[in-house]
Amino acid sequence: MSSQPQRSDLVAKLTRPVARPLAATYRWVDERMGISDLTHQLLYEAVPRRGAWAYSLGSATLIIIVLQIVTGMFLLWTYVPSTTEAWESLNYIEHYDEFAAIVRGMHLWGAYVLLVIIGLHMIRTFVSGSYKKPRELNWIVGVILFLLVLGLGITGAMLPWDQAAYWTAQVVTHVVDYVPLLGNWLQDILRGGPQMGPETLTRFFAIHIWLLPALLVPLVGLHLILLRRHGEHGSWVNYEGVESETEEARAERMADAEYPYPAIPSDPGYAVPVDIGDFFPSQVFKDSLVSFALVLLVFIMAVVVGAPLERAANPAALNYVPTPEWFFLPLDQLLIQFPQAWMIPVGVFVLPGIGTTLLILVPFLDRSPEREPWRRPEVMVPALFAVLFLIFEALLAVNRLFNL
Amino acid sequence: MADNGRDLAKQRVSRRRFMIMTINGVGAGTALLIAAPIVGSVLSPVFAKRKTPWVLVADISRVAVGAPTAYVVNLPTDEGWPVPPVPRTVYVVKLNLNGKVQMITLSNVCSHMQCDVHWDLNLQQFFCPCHGGLYSIEGVNIGGPPPWPLFRYEHKLVGTTLYVRNVLTGTGA
Repeated sequence: MSSQPQRSDLVAKLTRPVARPLAATYRWVDERMGISDLTHQLLYEAVPRRGAWAYSLGSATLIIIVLQIVTGMFLLWTYVPSTTEAWESLNYIEHYDEFAAIVRGMHLWGAYVLLVIIGLHMIRTFVSGSYKKPRELNWIVGVILFLLVLGLGITGAMLPWDQAAYWTAQVVTHVVDYVPLLGNWLQDILRGGPQMGPETLTRFFAIHIWLLPALLVPLVGLHLILLRRHGEHGSWVNYEGVESETEEARAERMADAEYPYPAIPSDPGYAVPVDIGDFFPSQVFKDSLVSFALVLLVFIMAVVVGAPLERAANPAALNYVPTPEWFFLPLDQLLIQFPQAWMIPVGVFVLPGIGTTLLILVPFLDRSPEREPWRRPEVMVPALFAVLFLIFEALLAVNRLFNL
Repeated sequence: MADNGRDLAKQRVSRRRFMIMTINGVGAGTALLIAAPIVGSVLSPVFAKRKTPWVLVADISRVAVGAPTAYVVNLPTDEGWPVPPVPRTVYVVKLNLNGKVQMITLSNVCSHMQCDVHWDLNLQQFFCPCHGGLYSIEGVNIGGPPPWPLFRYEHKLVGTTLYVRNVLTGTGA
């Protein structure tokens, strides 16, 4: 027992020559930048206590987006965005640069995991009715972020310029040709000419590494600012009994609300969760574990499976069957269900457009204060059917593509 | 005096308004200066002039009537900067139309989503594996989602020697 303080004294004595100037430097910087204040503001906020594991999906999304940005940056160390060299540079990575191949694998599996986690994050938000007043705009920003990630996924799939990438790009750039009147122009703009060529790849490279991320990053920022402005909503388990509580009890909870609550304007009783926890360390603890597990999964998949690279693009191919990335399978199935000239735009633009519009309008279609999912069947049932429809379409597409 | 004061107040307001209008105008001008060349460069492929050279395919005298034959030809991409020509498939099809032999040069690209089609010997039709599109030997869309016939390469015959250009014709090309 008595040896313990002695040892720490010794440690303190030994580290003093380093620790003292370090502490002084930190103080100097902190006085000028306010790091301590900022850290305090970022970490110390009230969050809903119950159901906290489910709320870690948002931070997991953020961590995977950071993973994508960082691995993407370092893929540029070897990747050449040119029709003559893109495939060669990746083939070099796959055969002679083991670590770069893992980075590439992490970028691919990171994208897959990101899409799954965003999907789960959206479902969680939907089921708990977290998009309700005053968080409608944050739902809309979230939908836009989801669309941007889909765009990043499909443009990224074009860059290896192997067979899969070439024919994916051919199909995707041709879809815009079905836009009434302007279609031909749009296809020329995306391809850099009437056919796929060197400019097609540089365009999609620019869209993938600059245009879409330049929209994504500030919108992630806005998503977080809005989250902090209203506080986390949590889910119905955090608002048990609020509808039957007395006016006085409600007023007291409002008055005692910790930062960043109360969320205003809210439905009566829903401005502050009943049971409050700490963001740091309770929520951050769960967030860290979930994010670590996902990054570990991405790492393992990158090492064990890696990222595929098919043969180099061959526009003369006769027997190549391009299969869309799994997250575009439902759309691909619509292509076969809406054949012939006038129907194609219905399958390509009208139906996905209606789906996206409904998704954006969710907060305005479901305006009741009710949070419990089984007590708002008017939104839960259509949403369930929508999800089942997407899964069904994807299964039909898989069955078609792999039974040829 | 009263009038003077009001004039002064009015002048102050209009001075402030002048500056705000200038800020807005100059801001719009700055944005326009940056945007104009960008929009131009984005739209440039639409207006680009293309000089597409003729490329030798082969002597096609041995292609049989009713047997579409695929030739792989290195065609210049004809967009952007010079890159090595890219291999493309030209289907040479000889048709017997009322005793007269006619030749057409079809592309291997489906008119639906532009996947690669091939001549299927069993079906005696062109088949696209992506969404199951079918075309007759003349390249006419006869089944599945394709909205239009197969595209055709511009071609010319010198004797029995075939030349094509990387220009696709037909609806939707």
